[in-house]
Amino acid sequence: MSHGVPRVSSKRDDERDRKSIDDYQALVQQVNAQMQAQEYTSDTLALTSRLLSINPEFYTAWNHRRKLLSHLMATSAAPGVDLITADLAFLIPLLKLYPKCYWLWNYRIWLLEQAELYAPKEALAIWRGELALVAHMLTRDERNFHGWGYRRRVVMAVERLEGTSLAEEELVYTGAAIRRALQNFSAFHYRSKLLGRVLDERGATDAQRRRVFDNELDISQEALVDPFNQSAWFYHQFLMRCVVEQTILRLTTAEKAAYFESEMARVEEMLEDYDDCKWIYQALLQYAMEFHKLRPEAVACSKLQSWLSHLRRLDPLRAGRWADLETTL
Amino acid sequence: MSLVAGPGRGGALSSGPSPQQLHTNAHIRYIQTLDKRRDEFEYWLTEHLRLNGLYWGLTALHLLGKPDALPRAEVLDFVLSCLHESGGMGAAPGHDAHMLYTVSGVQILALVDGFEELEARVPGWKEKIAKSVIAGLQDPATGTFFGDQYGEPDTRFLYGALNALSLLGRLDFVDVPRAVTYIKSCANPDGGYGNSPGAESHSGQIFTCLAALSIADRLDTVDMEHLAGWLSERQVSEGEGKGGLNGRPEKKEDVCYSWWVLSSLAMLNRVHWIDGKALESFILRCQDPEHGGISDRPGDMVDVFHTVFGLAGLSLLKFPGLEEVDPVYCLPRSVTRKVLGK
Repeated sequence: MSHGVPRVSSKRDDERDRKSIDDYQALVQQVNAQMQAQEYTSDTLALTSRLLSINPEFYTAWNHRRKLLSHLMATSAAPGVDLITADLAFLIPLLKLYPKCYWLWNYRIWLLEQAELYAPKEALAIWRGELALVAHMLTRDERNFHGWGYRRRVVMAVERLEGTSLAEEELVYTGAAIRRALQNFSAFHYRSKLLGRVLDERGATDAQRRRVFDNELDISQEALVDPFNQSAWFYHQFLMRCVVEQTILRLTTAEKAAYFESEMARVEEMLEDYDDCKWIYQALLQYAMEFHKLRPEAVACSKLQSWLSHLRRLDPLRAGRWADLETTL
Repeated sequence: MSLVAGPGRGGALSSGPSPQQLHTNAHIRYIQTLDKRRDEFEYWLTEHLRLNGLYWGLTALHLLGKPDALPRAEVLDFVLSCLHESGGMGAAPGHDAHMLYTVSGVQILALVDGFEELEARVPGWKEKIAKSVIAGLQDPATGTFFGDQYGEPDTRFLYGALNALSLLGRLDFVDVPRAVTYIKSCANPDGGYGNSPGAESHSGQIFTCLAALSIADRLDTVDMEHLAGWLSERQVSEGEGKGGLNGRPEKKEDVCYSWWVLSSLAMLNRVHWIDGKALESFILRCQDPEHGGISDRPGDMVDVFHTVFGLAGLSLLKFPGLEEVDPVYCLPRSVTRKVLGK
């Protein structure tokens, strides 16, 4: 698949293509032949390094490498940790060049799991070291799906080996990521997963939970300094769902209604500077409908209709959705 | 089937009467000649996608109304050449078996109506592929599926497994309720799904989870309103890519999401929550009218992956002249109707 490949030149260099194909096919054949002959040697390992540096998507060659390394670790006199750290180092430039290659990230996870078998004393330090690597990868591309998934896997492994929780550290990490880029949906998502865990682990009281929660509302409001930031809106929606569903808070109906009332007031205030932002009207409508369930008498229908007509004007692409919404008002 | 990008570029100027027409004949020729590009280095570098590529190309041809545009005997021979002793399939001869290719192989066999023929040539393959390969990759602890023996869990593989097993009529080999429980554990407060529990919502993974739930007949577990709302916001309202769909908030539009997002909305009966005309225009702008093929965005190189998902998106939008696509399987509806008997 070619994502985002602009066309540079329509003229191919036939001569160079033929040479590349010949060299590549010879290399593939040699690797296959040596694997077939069960030559599980450092020489074959070096050949797979060459092949995978040319083509990291060649998943079968990563499988060859797993077999080779398992054999070498089980039989060689050199300590397993040396083979593993050498292989981890081999992968770094490839990860930088091909940060979206599934096979590459998976192979690295496999390698780290081997550390627990062949270098049990060093395994924890090796896993821990990965946090710095993945932090670096996520500064190169703050939304890399693979990077965030990998981070979760590493955190789980460290927690398992240490018998501790990294939730507090990770919450701090997401806070920093959000401050660097207020539109980082990935960081907001991760934060939404950590929040409840952190509160539980702290053994937070109802009052403490509310203080933390209020701070989260402030964070999302700060990110809404640009009201077109949909990541911040999704996080705000998540928080308002927490109010309704009582996943991390315990509130009376009156307290729930108070949250809706005050957040709707804050959102409505944004209209003073941004009366052309569809997200504001959308949030007001959504929250007003929730608020209505809590305090039916307090919602004015005329306002809902006015917000909806603004929304329809500003967001014609989703006209069908707003038509459906109208029937539920 | 080649996954080489180009030769064309999406958005090249059309010489036809209207830039907004579908260049059916150019696309057919483009797919038919994909396997004749063995003199290009990229043809060999993309060998790990060969069997997927055949599925994408063949599905595109079916949707274009030319199901016989590739020689059937060669298609069957190629699928057979990817089949391992174990019953699984690799990307091409010499490549290891993996769920991704095994599923493509089964889909291709469904497309060419080749189940019985393969059974005659390799007796017992069907049972083997369903039981020892696909069912064997279900994780008994969680209910999800691995891609191969190295144990990477991903909802892509879970969907692939249910897709292929249902086409083979052997869903009974796996624990479907457990798989459903796993999908539920991947759900997020925004209504979407990630590739594993805790992972961020992503339109591609949402498609796999909804399609798997559709096969399991458990769409009742979906947070319909939140999810459909989140999906509808994938339509980009400004800039050059206006009307196109992206995969996650704040990301660029891309033709392949015309499939992942729109098929998901179709399964939720909410296709009307986006502007179909605007999306149609975006996809058509990504065609190369002369050399055929569709790209991810106007101006980029075309490839067969974006070609099939662009066409499948147009089919969901009921674009005239295209065959109806099944939003759960990304196969022609006529094929799934025949194979599934419903």
